[in-house]
Amino acid sequence: MSFDWKSYTPVIIPDIPNLHEIDVYTKNGGYDSLKKVLSNDWDSEKVINEVKAANIRGRGGAGFNAGLKWSFMPKPDGGPRYLACNGDESEPGTFKDRKIFEYNPHLFIEGALIAAYAMQCSAIYVYIRGEYYSWIKMMEKALKDAYDKGFIGKNILGSGFDVEFHVTGGAGAYICGEETSMLESLEGKRGYPRVKPPFPAQKGLWGRPTTINNIETLACVPLVIKNGADWFSGIGAETHPGPVLYGISGHVNRPGVYELPTGMPVLTLIEEVAGGMRNGKKLKGLIPGGSSTPILRGDTLEGVNMDADSLREAGSMMGTAGMIVMDEDTDMVEMLWRISHFYHHESCGQCTPCREGTGWLEKILLKIRNGDGEIRDLELLIDLCSQMEGRTICALADAAAWPVRYTIDRFRDEFEARCKKSTYALA
Amino acid sequence: MPEIFIDGKRYEFEGKPKLLQFILDNGKEVPFFCYHPEMSAPANCRQCYVKVGTPVQNRETGEYELDENGERVIRWFPKMQTSCSMEMTDGMVVHTQETSEEVARAQKDTMELILINHPLDCPICDQAGECPLQIQTYKYGPEGSRFEVKKVHKPKRVELGPRVTLDAERCINCTRCVRFTEEISETYQLTIASRGDKNYPITAPGMEFDDPYSLNTVDICPVGALTSTDFRFKARVWEMNQTPSIDITGGKGTNVDLWTRDNLVLRLTPRYNENVNTHWMPDEARMAYTKFNENRISRPSIKADGDNQIKTSWNNAIETFAEKLEAVKPADVLVLGSAHASVEENYALMKTFSTWGVNDFYFSPDVKEGFGDDFLLTDDQAPNTKGVKALGFSETSAEDLKAAIKSAKVVVLLNDELVDRGVLDSEDLKKPYVISLATNETETSKSTDLVIPITCIAEHAASYVNVEGRIQRSLPAKETKYTHRKLDLEMSEGRLDRYGTNFDNWVNEDNKVDCTPTWELMNNLGKRLGLSIQFGTSREIMDEIASSNSSFEGVSYEKMDDENGIQLTGMNKEEVSA
Repeated sequence: MSFDWKSYTPVIIPDIPNLHEIDVYTKNGGYDSLKKVLSNDWDSEKVINEVKAANIRGRGGAGFNAGLKWSFMPKPDGGPRYLACNGDESEPGTFKDRKIFEYNPHLFIEGALIAAYAMQCSAIYVYIRGEYYSWIKMMEKALKDAYDKGFIGKNILGSGFDVEFHVTGGAGAYICGEETSMLESLEGKRGYPRVKPPFPAQKGLWGRPTTINNIETLACVPLVIKNGADWFSGIGAETHPGPVLYGISGHVNRPGVYELPTGMPVLTLIEEVAGGMRNGKKLKGLIPGGSSTPILRGDTLEGVNMDADSLREAGSMMGTAGMIVMDEDTDMVEMLWRISHFYHHESCGQCTPCREGTGWLEKILLKIRNGDGEIRDLELLIDLCSQMEGRTICALADAAAWPVRYTIDRFRDEFEARCKKSTYALA
Repeated sequence: MPEIFIDGKRYEFEGKPKLLQFILDNGKEVPFFCYHPEMSAPANCRQCYVKVGTPVQNRETGEYELDENGERVIRWFPKMQTSCSMEMTDGMVVHTQETSEEVARAQKDTMELILINHPLDCPICDQAGECPLQIQTYKYGPEGSRFEVKKVHKPKRVELGPRVTLDAERCINCTRCVRFTEEISETYQLTIASRGDKNYPITAPGMEFDDPYSLNTVDICPVGALTSTDFRFKARVWEMNQTPSIDITGGKGTNVDLWTRDNLVLRLTPRYNENVNTHWMPDEARMAYTKFNENRISRPSIKADGDNQIKTSWNNAIETFAEKLEAVKPADVLVLGSAHASVEENYALMKTFSTWGVNDFYFSPDVKEGFGDDFLLTDDQAPNTKGVKALGFSETSAEDLKAAIKSAKVVVLLNDELVDRGVLDSEDLKKPYVISLATNETETSKSTDLVIPITCIAEHAASYVNVEGRIQRSLPAKETKYTHRKLDLEMSEGRLDRYGTNFDNWVNEDNKVDCTPTWELMNNLGKRLGLSIQFGTSREIMDEIASSNSSFEGVSYEKMDDENGIQLTGMNKEEVSA
């Protein structure tokens, strides 16, 4: 890629001091997109079409076109409709939305308001993971300021558009980041994912039409309205455009969140943006988009870009763009056991394959890690993955199975070296 | 009409049934645990997997697209679908485990996962023998287990409430019990606590699971996680005989099964009747079984010196009964029927005494205002209030009853605990000569001069009319001194009756009560008094009632059995008032 990343100017978290303060935000053109939408001849259809054309692919992991998702909302019937904003980011390796809450909360608020206007929602909920206590406080402050300035509430900016905005904190469950269990949690219930259909657009929060969007996705919306769909879709990769927050963690010199266009070469991100490998070690593996996305071997990353198509070709996924970089000293068995431990701990326990499977995976991996594993256990692990994938209500079972399947597949020699020869076959 | 193809066979359907229920309704089988026809389908056990496809339709014409063989092109769902939550659509094609290896494999996979943390303690588990997990594991489960690591340990022997005990390790988290308290009894007393494989159902801290319908969760629990504290460890399921019957603790006429072993009733469970109680019964009704075994009156007794009752012979009892009657005029005899006794018993009593010359018959209704709910509990505490009324017994208040007893010389009292339930004082029964026909030893029976034991609902076939005017009948489950399982044709034929020896049936002479059905007692009394009455079996008595009393027109045991009870015409559904 000939693109000079150093010349890129961030737009989601731009380099403006104190941007989280509403006065600074409005001085720098903040809430202009909302005003534009509310005062001109923008009707809901026009907003949705603009966002659809910009091709904002959901930044929460699934990568679904946000405008298209909005268009699934049924026609208004006079009853309440909701926008639920997912700020539960709990996937290991993901820490990007936190930056928005901290440095540019009003961009997200503005985006959510535009989305609510487009879908004619009467209330917006933002669900933030419980561990982000300070960030929940920051959001509450930002919302209060926006209420005071009349950007939220009754008759916003004299347009006749009413919307309420609420912040809800989670209580520390990863599963509540799954969209339907987030709805359950918002309703005050146990965070069990719902059976689909009906989809949230038909029956969501309190049985009413609801759309769920990621925080970063919504933060892109004011930029699309301000600069146009063509501007947005012209940034980065053709099929997966726009600015994106890369959360780089692991064995690099400068871990952190970096805003850059999509489609950045993986190696550029590691070697240049994140300052290269720590202590000059060799790159062994990369988890490109949060712990559930399949790991890639360090020696297969040449020419791989951070966008959906390129990563799919390489055998992984974009996910949340939370990249976990591992150097040559990383023990893959230990790493995989730790990831499995996480999914075992976080399975909600509703569906059988996930409730039982995640625990079984972890226990076998622990056995291998402790040197008691046998070669046949690797076959069993792969078999269990097939028993879990696609067999549950939500995708947590898939998220738990993929790392196991692909880490064993791509680092099999390392696993075999830790296992004893099988003395007898499996039952 | 819309059509669906299941395992290559075509079915037609109406409305929007769910696939699993439709499969079950059509006599086919798919294994499942969390689904229950009366509750919502959470699709969490992932056991009822099937392969589903829909025909491809041409977008413009709406016609089905055909392949080169002229067959419809089917677009298969990429994943296995849980049939419990699958809505049926026209032209859908379904493969169950019968025709698809893939489905059978998926079901086996789920079963293996369900079993890894299950303790597999069937030999000491109460549920064994009637356990959906056990049955379906044998039918659809894997042959062995590949689980070689440590199982999860969870709380055991947790007393959730006064009647239900939890073994969390056996729980497979189907959430049926939680949904029962949410959707059926609406007490919201249970929830799932903890997360992942450490999940189990529990009450809120410090709260008791004292739902008046709590024991239904034991019935619907597909494993032995919830067990009845009362029934725990009492008997294996396969040692018991199961006899259909009716609940006699309330006016609803809840359909039940009596479970007997060693000639004792050990538990009651609800029996499905869509017109009465569907799958449920109140906890209170379950404890009624003790009355069938304990405190039974065996052999007649008579007051000999002062207030002491001593046992006497049947001959002496009948002779005394007849002598006491012959010493007075029929007008001096007060005959009380009972809403706690069956239609046949009340009829036999009434017919005998009206032949002898008594004109007026009374009964005292048993109603507790405010006791009922809008579910299965009723204000009416007696099972047969409407039946007694329809036979011609008149309701009488406590004051009128006391006055009538005072002026009578002989009182005949059919099984009704008038003293125990506070209608009378035992003092009221002092003056006249009181003959009670009773099943259990109570304050009432102790206050009477002559007690003649009669059969209870567990020992005879008889009918009861519930508050809604529905007549339903019982079958004998226990032997008396004078009946035999193999000779009494009314006796329900359980598995052990059909295939077992006497040894298997555990029939013990000690547990047989020396009592007789009321109608047989009336035959003996009538013969002694020289009356022209002769009652046959209760089945024949019901035929006689049906042909002589318009309220019971068309009623017969055959019809009751075929239709699971009959709604009597001319009886409205409103509650009986005091």
